[in-house]
Amino acid sequence: MLETVFFYAFAALTLAGAILTVTMRSAVHCAIALISSLAGVAGLYLLQHAEFLFAVQIVLYIGGVMVLFLFVIMLVNLDAAARERQFHRHWLAALACLAGTGALVALFLTRGAESFKLGAPAAEAAPGAGNIETLSMLLFREYLVPFELASLLLLVAIVGGVMMAKKRI
Amino acid sequence: MPVNFMPTPQELFRFAPEMLLTLVATIIMVLEPLSGADGKRKFAVISFLSLAAAIALSVAAAGDPGAAFSSMIVVDGFSTFFRILVMVAGVLTILISTNYLRMEEHESGEYYALVLFSIVGQCIMVSANELIMLFIGLECSSIASYVLAGFLRDDKRNNESALKYFLLGSFATAFLLYGVAWIYGTTGYTNLSEIRRVLLDPNSNQNMVVISAATALMFVGFAFKVSAAPFQMWAPDVYQGAPAPVTAFMSVGPKAAAFAMFLRVLMTAFEPVKDRWEPLLWTSALATMVIGNFAALRQTNIKRLLAYSSIAHAGYIMVALTAHSDIGTAAAMFYLASYTFMNIGAFAVVTYIARKGERHVEIQDLAGLSQRRPVVAAMLTIFLLSLTGIPLTAGFFGKFYIFKAALDANMVWLAVLGMLNSAVAAYYYLRLIVVMYMQAPSDEMEELPAPSVGIQAAMFAAAAATVFLGVFPSVVLDYAGKSASFIR
Amino acid sequence: MNLLDILLIIPAAGFLLTLLLPKDNPALVRNFTLFVSLIAFVLSLGLIGPVQSNPGHMTFETNTQWIEYPSIRYHVGLDGLSLWLVILSTFLTPIVILVSWKYIQNRVKEFYAFLLALLFGVLGVFVALDLFLFFVFWEISLVPMYFLVGIWGHDKRIYAAVKFFLYTMAGSALMLIAIIYLYNKSGTFDMPLMLDMMQKGRLALNGTEGFWLFLAFFFAFAIKVPLFPLHTWLPDAHGEAPTAGSVMLASVLLKLGTYGLVRICLPLFGEAARQNAAWIIGLAITGIIYGALVAMVQPNMKRLVAYSSVSHLGFVVLGVFTFTQVGLDGAVYQMLNHGISTGALFILVGMLYERRHSLEIADYGGVGTSAPWLSTMFVITTLASVGLPLLNNFVGEFLVLQGAAQVNFLYAVFAAIGVILSSVYMLWMVQRTFYGETPSEVKHHVNDLSAREWAVLVPLIVMMVWMGIGSQSFLPAVSAQNAQILELMKKPAAKEVANAR
Repeated sequence: MLETVFFYAFAALTLAGAILTVTMRSAVHCAIALISSLAGVAGLYLLQHAEFLFAVQIVLYIGGVMVLFLFVIMLVNLDAAARERQFHRHWLAALACLAGTGALVALFLTRGAESFKLGAPAAEAAPGAGNIETLSMLLFREYLVPFELASLLLLVAIVGGVMMAKKRI
Repeated sequence: MPVNFMPTPQELFRFAPEMLLTLVATIIMVLEPLSGADGKRKFAVISFLSLAAAIALSVAAAGDPGAAFSSMIVVDGFSTFFRILVMVAGVLTILISTNYLRMEEHESGEYYALVLFSIVGQCIMVSANELIMLFIGLECSSIASYVLAGFLRDDKRNNESALKYFLLGSFATAFLLYGVAWIYGTTGYTNLSEIRRVLLDPNSNQNMVVISAATALMFVGFAFKVSAAPFQMWAPDVYQGAPAPVTAFMSVGPKAAAFAMFLRVLMTAFEPVKDRWEPLLWTSALATMVIGNFAALRQTNIKRLLAYSSIAHAGYIMVALTAHSDIGTAAAMFYLASYTFMNIGAFAVVTYIARKGERHVEIQDLAGLSQRRPVVAAMLTIFLLSLTGIPLTAGFFGKFYIFKAALDANMVWLAVLGMLNSAVAAYYYLRLIVVMYMQAPSDEMEELPAPSVGIQAAMFAAAAATVFLGVFPSVVLDYAGKSASFIR
Repeated sequence: MNLLDILLIIPAAGFLLTLLLPKDNPALVRNFTLFVSLIAFVLSLGLIGPVQSNPGHMTFETNTQWIEYPSIRYHVGLDGLSLWLVILSTFLTPIVILVSWKYIQNRVKEFYAFLLALLFGVLGVFVALDLFLFFVFWEISLVPMYFLVGIWGHDKRIYAAVKFFLYTMAGSALMLIAIIYLYNKSGTFDMPLMLDMMQKGRLALNGTEGFWLFLAFFFAFAIKVPLFPLHTWLPDAHGEAPTAGSVMLASVLLKLGTYGLVRICLPLFGEAARQNAAWIIGLAITGIIYGALVAMVQPNMKRLVAYSSVSHLGFVVLGVFTFTQVGLDGAVYQMLNHGISTGALFILVGMLYERRHSLEIADYGGVGTSAPWLSTMFVITTLASVGLPLLNNFVGEFLVLQGAAQVNFLYAVFAAIGVILSSVYMLWMVQRTFYGETPSEVKHHVNDLSAREWAVLVPLIVMMVWMGIGSQSFLPAVSAQNAQILELMKKPAAKEVANAR
């Protein structure tokens, strides 16, 4: 019961944050709204017993990525951006998207939640072998190669970023 | 729980080509700032040699086939075939690139490093037996290609091309990743063989709606990467804007790798639910052929024309995929091999014709080429005839095997429409030949310097391979036929 | 490796060697290619004896593997049907090389190289017994012709070349599908093997399959023939091609289509051929009359001869689809006749063009007085073409009409109208060109035959007369093979009757 309450609370937080992110005029406000939305998602992770993801969400997205965002926002010329018309012009397309999504939701509701059964929710981690431990066992054993290769991927991305950004190397 | 982090030497050996290339690419990046402005040529030589060594390693690794790293990658005939194919494409690309980069005053180690990184990504794509590996390989290859597409940073068209490619490409990979997540959610696995096992298991009672939706999401990602309809719009702009050697590379290497993973995912994991995706592929194949060929009819820019032609060729290969049989797989493999040679060959000539700043990429710039540079014209003619599908060239046997596979799978209409499409294609390839051979060069044309050694080598090698595969296709086809069954 | 294989290799090797010759020495190129083509011709004469002694069977057969899977074999052989077509090709190649001696001054090396490549392609088509090999050669013969028309043709050459290529391409696309379908059905591309399987009942095509496969092949061949209404590429290609191109196109390339009908459509799809004969004959007769009528109003000599080809080839198709021994013999004989006499007509028109630089009939007149020998040759050829007795076309047309009359007398009546019309347009052209007043340009420029031109024309005229009075030298080999084809067509039908009982 309590979990359900928390679920709806976090879900509301996520949605409200997302809506505010696209509707606020000031870029800084947008960023802060996005933080609250991401925090809501983090809460949802916690409800799913995904403690590691919860931590990652807080540290990486709310901590790292958002700080980066705020830096960018401070660097670009905000006044000019605020004066410009915002992306409200595409309200027809937005309505179409909304109608489509609504139809999908309606379809799933009428066909019953059964038709959309996902895998059973993850079991609570066994005591002594916590969520993070299980994850690290997987990550550094079975998924060791993808994990290492992800570093290669990041290297390529960094090289690319530097290449594209710098005028002369 | 036994803890064993250390991979066995056997596993390392199976992964050796990728490791070698990564190492060399990193070394190039380290050496780059230490070398003077005119010392950049050595990077081309280094990457050339490392690719040759990696090809040798792949051949050696094929002698001991099997899975590695808890079935993350698998070295079999199929992956060896495509590993070698993308590396050969890389070798040819490097041959074309050196002179171009020097001409554009952009020769630097990063270019070669990125080409190598991209090839590493493609090698991972073709040998991955696991959706996450596959995704990482794809991203690695794609991000390197995005950067390569915009390599001449001061060039507007390059920037546009890179940005378009990056935005649309990221969007498409997001779809792919979403599909992967769904599959993991329903089946509980990301390993292709395990997914197949679950789907075949009569007791598992999978929700077909979710499976189909996931397949469709992954299809979006794959279709984008192979430029199949309806996700082909990016190709003409990106191909036209990117530097010509990069276009040559993008149109074969990443494409071949993407088709390889497409084939592996379809044939290994989703073969049990083929009824679901077969109509989807059928429609997409036909639409791709039609869009590619009919749009190519109206182009005046050679690069753009070849871009649409590469869309059409993706359509032919999709026909082979639709057949989903061993013959179809082998046909697609053979087609990709021949396509690699003829397309890189054609782009080698385009790179040569374009000259500094790519000012000469209109069809009219080919006028009278047969008189100005008869050998180059003859080479381009071979490539174009092969792209048309005239006998004694590789392209003919490629088409032949594909349509044979389609007929084997009882898709008579797809085969008939595909063949008619290839007759339409003859028109725009012929137009290039017409301009080269039947129009006199105009007087104000600048002098055409002799092609550089690299371009000559690439041209001759590609032409030789095109004709060789056109006369003795069995060499490659037998190998493809044998390795096609591995991905079942 | 027998004589036939060597004959195939010679033009291919000649083509490659010609490409290696120096670019700035056209005389060397001309002499070399003439030499190669003459060797090919002399060798091809050696084929006659063995084939004639055993015309109903494959002689000079070679059957080795080319591609392991799917099993594609280099299977070639010669019988009474292909023998004369092979010799026609080798006979005409040295002639067109001589014809182009002076006319082609620009990019000489490529021109002659393409002529040899063309010879390689058509010889391959005539001798291939493996359907896949047949298709390969069929496409190969297309490429050099495309370049011959497109590079050395007249003003609208590019349009004509592209049209020619695309028409044939569209037809052959369907043919390839049909070939693969047959392979999937039978497991082989080998034609004799396929026929054998059909005879033994191991390969049976049901009605719909037979119909569609027949149609796919027929469509490809009908474009090449060309059968009305698919003929529209022909006047363009002929009209724009250089003389050598027109000659090879009319005399040899069109025969690929009719040869394919006799060699593939009839024996493999006898049932479907019978069922569809009525409308095909209708188209053939329409073509005969239509070609003749259009030829009549052509102001351009080359286009006139081109339309006369449409009319003449209508006779061939008519003869083939009568399914009678005489009709088929006449059709095959008419293929050869048309090759000789229309080839000669194109050469003569080309000679006039080299002198006067015009193809318009209105620009000529009274050529007879300024070039009497040229005119004589032209008139003889014209008479041969309209079917004067004692000259070659008469024999073929007569046999075809006889065959048509056996099936339905009305066919013969309508086809005969075509014969009459042909004499009208040909003789009218002769009258306007060679008689009457001589304009001054003609008087100054049109001089009589040179020694080279004599060398070109005499063999052709000799052949016209020989084929007119000595048809016994040629026909027996053809008939023997045709009899066999008709036999093959009959058998499945007879079997069905037996089954029905």
